[in-house]
Amino acid sequence: MPTDTAYAPGPVPAPVHTDQLDVAGELLALLRDARTEPRPDPQLEALTLAVAADLPVLLWGEPGIGKTAALTHLAASLDLPLTTVIASVHEPSDFSGLPVVGDDPAEQGIPMAPPDWAVRLVRAGRGLLFLDELSTATPAVQAALLRLVLERRVGTLRLPAGVRIVAAANPRASAADGWELSPPLANRFVHLRWAHDHDVVVRGLGGTWPRATLPRLDPAKLPDAVDFARRAVCGLLAARPALVHRLPSGETQRGGAWPSPRSWEMTLHLIAFATAAGSARDVLSLLVRGTVGDGPGLELLAALDRMDLPDPETLLADPDHADLPERGDLRQAALDGVVAAVRARPAKSRWDAAWALLVRAMETGAPDLIVVPATDLAALREEDWDVPAAIERLAGAVSLSRRADRAAARVAVAEEAAR
Amino acid sequence: MTPRTPGASPASHATVTLDREKLFAARLHAVRARPYLATALFALHAVESRQVPTMAVDRYWRCYVSPGFVDRMPVEELAGVWVHEVSHLLRDHHGRGDRVARQRGLTGPGERLRINIAADCEINDDVFGDGLARPEGAVDPRSLGLPEGELMEDYLRQFRLGAHLERAAWLDCGSGADGLERPWDLGPDGAHGLSPQEQDAVRFRVAQGITGRPGDAPRGWRRWAEEAFHTPQRWRELLGAAVRSAATGSGAGEDHTYGRPSRRSAAVPGAVLPSLRRRPPRVSVVIDTSGSVSDAELGSALLEVASISRAVGGRRDLVTVVPCDAAARIAHPLCRAEGIPLIGGGGTDLRTGFATALAARPRPDVVVVLTDGQTPWPERRPPCRTVVGVFSRGRRRRTWDEGDPDYVPDSPPDWARVVDIG
Repeated sequence: MPTDTAYAPGPVPAPVHTDQLDVAGELLALLRDARTEPRPDPQLEALTLAVAADLPVLLWGEPGIGKTAALTHLAASLDLPLTTVIASVHEPSDFSGLPVVGDDPAEQGIPMAPPDWAVRLVRAGRGLLFLDELSTATPAVQAALLRLVLERRVGTLRLPAGVRIVAAANPRASAADGWELSPPLANRFVHLRWAHDHDVVVRGLGGTWPRATLPRLDPAKLPDAVDFARRAVCGLLAARPALVHRLPSGETQRGGAWPSPRSWEMTLHLIAFATAAGSARDVLSLLVRGTVGDGPGLELLAALDRMDLPDPETLLADPDHADLPERGDLRQAALDGVVAAVRARPAKSRWDAAWALLVRAMETGAPDLIVVPATDLAALREEDWDVPAAIERLAGAVSLSRRADRAAARVAVAEEAAR
Repeated sequence: MTPRTPGASPASHATVTLDREKLFAARLHAVRARPYLATALFALHAVESRQVPTMAVDRYWRCYVSPGFVDRMPVEELAGVWVHEVSHLLRDHHGRGDRVARQRGLTGPGERLRINIAADCEINDDVFGDGLARPEGAVDPRSLGLPEGELMEDYLRQFRLGAHLERAAWLDCGSGADGLERPWDLGPDGAHGLSPQEQDAVRFRVAQGITGRPGDAPRGWRRWAEEAFHTPQRWRELLGAAVRSAATGSGAGEDHTYGRPSRRSAAVPGAVLPSLRRRPPRVSVVIDTSGSVSDAELGSALLEVASISRAVGGRRDLVTVVPCDAAARIAHPLCRAEGIPLIGGGGTDLRTGFATALAARPRPDVVVVLTDGQTPWPERRPPCRTVVGVFSRGRRRRTWDEGDPDYVPDSPPDWARVVDIG
C-alpha cells in the first residue's frame, strides 16, 4: 500500500481514490470500453455453419490470433455455454476416465469416472466444447481426445446431441511437437484455417471490434437446400468418379482435408446448411475446401457456378428478353451451352432463336465473346435454312474477328522474319 | 504496363473515344494465341478510364483502359498487354506484393513501383512470342541485367530504382499488380468485381486447362499451374515436421508409461495409472552424396536436423552422423563444431549407411537420410522411423546415365517419409 503522503501531498485533501485497485479498475473499464461495428466475417460464418451442422471442426491457427475470442463470441450468439478444455495440461485418463476401484473389481468391473466438466456438460444437455492446444498434447492424450471427438465419449459418459465440439491446433510449421493427423482422422474434420485480418486487428485495438452477423437458417428453404446440395455433389461425382476417393500423397498434403465418401457426405450437409442460410459463396468455399481439399473443392465450386448458369432451353424460348450473365467467361459458357443445345436437337426455329440470342449478347456486352459461338452456330446450318436477317447486326463481330486475324498474321510474319 | 511516351500527356488524348472494337479484337487475338488463358481473359471487366496512363488492373479483376493508349497501340501489341495484365491477377501479384511489403517493411510509392517492376519481370520473361507480340517498352529481367525465370520476390532483392529505370517510372499496372490503391480504382463496392472465391474459381479453371494439356503452355505457366493451389512448403518446415513427428512417435519422446506410478496413484488406490516420462529420441543422420549437392545445401540440411532433434529433446550425444565418403569432409567439421559424435563411415551405397546406423547400440529411434536419390534402397523397412531428405535439384540434373540412357534411379520407398530439399 502506498503511503498517504505520496498521493495526497499538501493541505488540499486528495480525491477519494485512495485505493489503487479502484483506480486500476477504472482504467481497465476504460480500456475494455470498445464499440462494435457490423462487418461480414466469412471465417466466423463458416465456423458457425459447421457447428450448426454438427460436424467436428478443427481450427488451424498460430497461437494468439483470437481463436478463443471467436469461440466465445460464437457460444454467446448461439446461446450455448462454452467449456474450454486445454488438452495439453491434461492426462489421457482425464478424457478416457479415471479408473475407480470398488469393493469387488472382479465381479463389478472398474468404472471409468468422467471429469467434472463432462458431468456438467451432460447435465446441461447442451454446450460448446472447445478443445484447445491439441497440437501440444502428448500422443496418448491426443488418442484419448480423438475418441471424445469421434465417438463423443468421455469415460462411461456419452455427450448428448446438443453438445458441439470444436478443436484448435497450431499449424505443423509452428507446432513444437509432432502433432499430425493421420489421413483417416483428418478425413473426419472440417479444417478451417484461422487467420487474423490486419485491418480488423488495428481497428479493434483502436476501440472498434467487428460484429459479425451470424447466419440464420430459413425454414422455408430447407427442402430446396437439400435438393440443391444433392444435385451439386451427385452431379459432380457422376461426371468425375476419380474424385470420390483419393488418399493424400506427398508430404505437403499430410494432415489436411482429402476426398472420401465420408467427407463428401459432410460436404453435402454443409452445402445444404449454407444454402438454407443464404450464405455467400466465399463461406461455402472455405467449408468445401476444408472438407474435401482444395482441388476437389474447387471443382465442386466450379460445378456450382455452372449450375448457376441460365438454362439454354429457357434462353432459347425467349431470346429477346434473355438474361445473360454479366461476367464475360460465364456469358461465353452460357452461349456455348446454347450452341450445344441447338446441336443436340437441331431445328430451324431453335437456330434462329440462337442467332437472336447472339445479337442480344452483342448489344449488351463485349463483342469478342460471341465470335466463337457464332462460328460454331454458322457451322450447324442445314441446306434449306435461310440466313436470318438478324445476322447483319453481328457484322461488328465479324469485322472484329477479321481484325484479330490480321493481327495474328502480322505477328506470324514478324516472328518468321526474326527467325 | 508499357511506358507512356514521354511528352504525350493524357490531356491530348482526352478527345479520343475508346475504340472498343480494337480493344476487343486484341482480346480475341490474345485468346486465340493463348487458349488456356481464355477463361481469365474473358473474366476481366474492361472499364474506360481517362485517369489511367495505359492499362491497369485492380484486385477485383477490373481492367482500366485509357482510350488514348488503345488508339496508339497496334492490335497485336494490345493483345500482349491483355495477357500481361491478366497474368498479374492470375499470379496474385497484389496479394504477394502486400505480403512482401509487410514482411520486409517496404513502404512508400517507390517500393510499390519496384514491386510492379519485379512482377513485370516475372511475367515478361516467357509470356511473349509464339504468336503473341511483345509490346514496345515491356520491362524484362534481361533489360535489368537479371537472370530469367525467377519469382517477383527474388527479383525484388536484386535491383534498385535509378536512372536506368527512368522510362519504367512511367509504367503502372494498377493495384492488381502491386497492391497499392489507385485513384481510378472503383474499390470493393464497385460494379463487376470478382469476389475472392470467384477469382479462385477462375484461377483453378485456368490451372486445370494448363495441367490438362501441358504441351501448349510454356514452362513458367506449367509451374504456376502446378503450384497454384499447392503453395510449396519450405523444405525446412517439412523436414522439421517429419523429424519431429518421427521422433515423438511411440517409443520415444514424451509419452505416458506404466513403468512408474502416476502422481495420482495415491488418490486411486488399487489402480495403476500411467505417468508422464520423457525419453529423448536417438537420431542417426545418414549422409550420402556423390558430389552433386553443394556443401552449403548439405551443411544447412545437416544443421537443421541437428537443431530439430535437439528441440524435441535429443541431447547432443544422442545425435549421430553416419557419413558416406564424399560427405565426410563437410560432416566432420560441422559435427566437431556441434559436438555430435561421428560413427561409421565409408561406402557410397546407402544400404551400408543404413546398416551402420542400425548396428549402433542402443539402436536409433529415427534415421534421417540426406541423399540425392541416386542410390539403391534397402529392400525391407528398417525397424525404426525413417525420414528421407532428397536433394531434388541434384536428382533432376542427373536423371541420366552415360552408359545406360534408360537408367531411372529408384524412387525412395513407400515406408519412408520423403521431403524434397532445395
